[in-house]
Amino acid sequence: MDKQKKTSFDTGAAKRLLAYARPYTRWMVLALVVIIAMSGLVNYLPVLIQKITDTCLLNTSETANVRVSRLAHLSLLYITFALVGHILRYGQGMLTVWLGQRIIYDLRMAVYKKAMRLHQGHFDRTPVGALLTRVTSDIDRMQGFVTDGVVGTVADVFMLISIMIYMVVLHWQVALVLFTVLPVMFAALHMINRKLRHANRLIRERQSAINALLQEDIVGMTTIQLFNRQTTACGEFRERNTHLRSAYFEEVRWFSLYFPVIEAGQAVAFILILGAGGWLLLNQSSVISLGVLVAFLTYIRDFFRPLGSLSDKAGMFQTAMASAERIFALLDTPEAIKDPRQSLPPNQITGPIAFDHVWFAYDKENWVIKDLSFQVEPGQIIAVVGATGAGKSTIINLIGRFYDVQQGAVTINGHDIRQFRKAHLRSRLGYVFQDPFVFAGTVADNISLLNPDLTRDDLISAATTVNAHTFIQDMPNGYDTVLNERGDGLSFGQKQLLCMARTLAQDPELLFVMDEATASVDTATEVLIQDALNKLMHNRTSIVIAHRLSTIRHANQILVMRHGQLLDSGTHDELMRHSVYYKHLYELLRHSPEV
Amino acid sequence: MKRYILQYKMDIVWTVVCTLVTVGISLTLPFLMRQAIDGLTDKTLSRTGLRDLLLWYGGLSAVAVVFSLYLRKIPMKLSHKVEFALRNDVFDHLTRMDQAFFRSERTGDLMTRMSSDMTLLRDTIGQGLLQGIRTGMVLLLASIVMLITDTSLALLVLGLYFPMTAIFFLVLRAMRRTQKLLQEQVSDVSNFCQESFAGIRCIKGFALEERRIGLFEYLNRDLVRLNMKVQAGRQSLWPFMAFWFCLSVMMILNLGGRQVVRGERSLGTLVQFMQYLLYMQWPLLALSWITSLFQQGKVSWQRICHILEQTPAIADTDQTDFQIQQLTGDIHLQDLSLDLKDRRFLDHISLKIPTGTTLGITGPTGSGKTLLVSLVARLMDSTSGSIRVDGHDIKVIPLSVLRKHIGFAAQEPILFSRTLEHNIGFGVSEPDEALIQWAAEVAHLTEDIQSFPERFDTLLGERGVTLSGGQRQRASISRAVARHPDILILDDVLSAVDTQTEAAIMKKLQPVMQKRTTLFVSHRISTLQYADEIVVIEHGCITQQGTHDELIKQPGYYAELNMLQQIQSQLE
Repeated sequence: MDKQKKTSFDTGAAKRLLAYARPYTRWMVLALVVIIAMSGLVNYLPVLIQKITDTCLLNTSETANVRVSRLAHLSLLYITFALVGHILRYGQGMLTVWLGQRIIYDLRMAVYKKAMRLHQGHFDRTPVGALLTRVTSDIDRMQGFVTDGVVGTVADVFMLISIMIYMVVLHWQVALVLFTVLPVMFAALHMINRKLRHANRLIRERQSAINALLQEDIVGMTTIQLFNRQTTACGEFRERNTHLRSAYFEEVRWFSLYFPVIEAGQAVAFILILGAGGWLLLNQSSVISLGVLVAFLTYIRDFFRPLGSLSDKAGMFQTAMASAERIFALLDTPEAIKDPRQSLPPNQITGPIAFDHVWFAYDKENWVIKDLSFQVEPGQIIAVVGATGAGKSTIINLIGRFYDVQQGAVTINGHDIRQFRKAHLRSRLGYVFQDPFVFAGTVADNISLLNPDLTRDDLISAATTVNAHTFIQDMPNGYDTVLNERGDGLSFGQKQLLCMARTLAQDPELLFVMDEATASVDTATEVLIQDALNKLMHNRTSIVIAHRLSTIRHANQILVMRHGQLLDSGTHDELMRHSVYYKHLYELLRHSPEV
Repeated sequence: MKRYILQYKMDIVWTVVCTLVTVGISLTLPFLMRQAIDGLTDKTLSRTGLRDLLLWYGGLSAVAVVFSLYLRKIPMKLSHKVEFALRNDVFDHLTRMDQAFFRSERTGDLMTRMSSDMTLLRDTIGQGLLQGIRTGMVLLLASIVMLITDTSLALLVLGLYFPMTAIFFLVLRAMRRTQKLLQEQVSDVSNFCQESFAGIRCIKGFALEERRIGLFEYLNRDLVRLNMKVQAGRQSLWPFMAFWFCLSVMMILNLGGRQVVRGERSLGTLVQFMQYLLYMQWPLLALSWITSLFQQGKVSWQRICHILEQTPAIADTDQTDFQIQQLTGDIHLQDLSLDLKDRRFLDHISLKIPTGTTLGITGPTGSGKTLLVSLVARLMDSTSGSIRVDGHDIKVIPLSVLRKHIGFAAQEPILFSRTLEHNIGFGVSEPDEALIQWAAEVAHLTEDIQSFPERFDTLLGERGVTLSGGQRQRASISRAVARHPDILILDDVLSAVDTQTEAAIMKKLQPVMQKRTTLFVSHRISTLQYADEIVVIEHGCITQQGTHDELIKQPGYYAELNMLQQIQSQLE
């Protein structure tokens, strides 16, 4: 039952994979034509050897001169055929590889595009590694399958068929005798390949078992040493290592059979050719010549080569289909946050922002935001304060449509934000996150975010405003210094300033700030950051998740949140007068050891 | 390396024997073929003669096949044996390394050395032995046999194959270079994706999706281009070889063929040499492959040696006094300082912790509290000053004895993916059920365990139950107390539990703490007040010292912390 189900999945994935090949149908037909031409040419060569042997070397009825000149003539033909045939073979190889690469290119593109459109919740829930596996190793496995698997198989089959045809034409009796080896060899190689696959699976399992243990023991080595467990740990490691070794021995056992079996097959084939041919010759039969024997001997190598690889294709198909299923499952993930069919123009994204009786839960059960309503006038600075878990950062998630509200609405100038295209909406929003994210690339690209409308002067002026220009200029190549993905070489505070320059350069309509003083920033940089923040927020609608006292005091309005609800709002002075909760919060912030 | 391989001298001898037999027979078989063909050409061969020839052919082939099997099996098995021994040795070595080593080496890097570097080294040994010995034999024996059989044809074959090997070698080298570029591009793509997923919030926030897709398209296109470049080399190998074979066959047929026409040479000789052409091709090509494998294998060996060559700073030395077997837990820190990377983390700390007393340690984040308790457990050594336990310098106490007396629980404890029982009884040789249950009860873990599917047999980690931060901390307390240590070190082990659970745990833990010398780090006043004495550490120095009642009256960090926590409790 389970197996049946699996096969039906296989065909589904295979069919969808085929859809990716459809745009290249013409090229595939061309590849097929080249394969046929190539195998016809290349496998004709032994026939030429037969002609040379019979009409030149052993033909005693003609003069030596005639025979030698015919030898030269046939040799020239042979070399020409060989050259063209092998060039075609190379061309066919490259063509099929190119086809495979094109298909994989499209597939990789599709997966990445899909990943970029996945819901934020997907990223919050699943680790980055799982998604990365889809774009890397799963795609790689597909690539191997498409190139070596499908196309390689077609080439192998045609090589085999054309050799068989030539053999039958040369001498059908000897050919038929020789063909009896084929099923036996195929069965033997298939069996070995199956055993090898099994051994390889064992190796992989035991390798990952030993790796898991190793990883854990390396991370926990201090614990092991503190509790004097070194001997036990070594014992456990040795046990798994022994297991791994026995799996490898199993692999060696079958692998060392592989080539000897082919050698044995070749020996049997030689004996059959010499035996059958010799017997016919000794019976004075005129239907066979020595040249035919020599030609058959020449075919042997190419005859067995495709057999080995053909017998291994089944396993490849299985693993590739498992990857294909995972990839297509990702491509099938529904897009939770969709753009409206008819969107409002982006110039409407301006004016007051309001929460209108908003309810929201990440898991549809525990409300994080409960009936929240507030309004922010253009140019105002709003500070949101509250204890951890009050739902402060969720506000940012909702306005940026990282998540959609469950009840109520978030509006801009009276329009529900779900009526705008996500790209339009988000391009009007700017962020200052707690952990500044630096992209691999130049400093300039990190500020411009590759926005083509921004000139170098724009970048410099943005950087200057937020106090980043000085340290950027001091970097080895200034704005063209290439940063790696961790932003090595920049301090945490510098990264924050860089990200602020980025935000300012994008000139957003609405600014979100996660404003938290960090212990790892020194006082001098802290002053620069605060100053930059003030300039950034100047004359700009801003929502600040506030921890710095100065920001809170200067806000036009303060929202006090508790357990997802708006507890109170007003200016600092008002709240200090009438809200006991706010007073406590303020005291707590004032005494926080980090500030 | 030699040491590892030479253990298996006999295996190498056998490999040589098998190679000799296989290669010898393989070179003999074309002789039989030639006799058959020549006999058939001039019709001198009788039926029984043909039958005998074929029987010989079959018999010799059978022997060759068997030996050829062992020719592969023996060196490959040997390489696995070497890998096995080496991996065990490296692991043993790792268990002796100190914390500083593990902090300076990345786990992923160590893992790579233990897996892919080992694999590469093993392949180098196995394939190196197999192909090295075989290629040598084939070249030597084939040249001799051919030269004896027919000098001019032999020179022709050798003359043709020398340039083939050279060209092949060059193609492979060029391929390696593009292959390296390709690998870099692959990891660029992988890094780009990693960055895209890790920075998705920033990308979505600034609506950068389309631009990222554009960049990815560039990377993807380059990936295809480099792939094609590598394939341009790889796809050429087989057609090139096959064509070269055709070329060689033609040369033999033309040069040798004229003599056959003139009756100076037999057809059988030509067939025989064509077989040699086929036979020599692979070993020669393997030679170029082996060369590159050797280069990689050498690098891998060096990377593995890098681990084996390092010695731990914390280990028993000749100064260790192995007479010391028992400790009671009287700890005396004298003028202790610790520098790491030229920065002072602990500055002249002196403390006495008499047997059976409890010391509470507090202070802001990063002030050096964890380092202080790490010094007591000798996870690292101080830069200056000394620690005495029962009057012995900590450096002369055998490491295993010192640690036998310590129960250590860390703020972010490492638990192992085993059963809960295994984890709690981790530090005890043969833990009985009663001990495990008692230890779980002390850390207030019993109720949690009752809710797990298989109680104490519940697996932890990915394949079992994922514990919450608080549960992990409590499990590590159980693990520490299960040893009945004389010295109990608790490094901020209740930071992840709420105040109520904390109170419940302290109630059960306190009697256990009272019987032992206990050092505990905490940020909570409610926990700290259980201590006989409390020290406040700021910037690596002790700034306040005394009992809870004393400190609360002094202006300073402790009193401030107390006030802050009172406000906080009102906010909750």
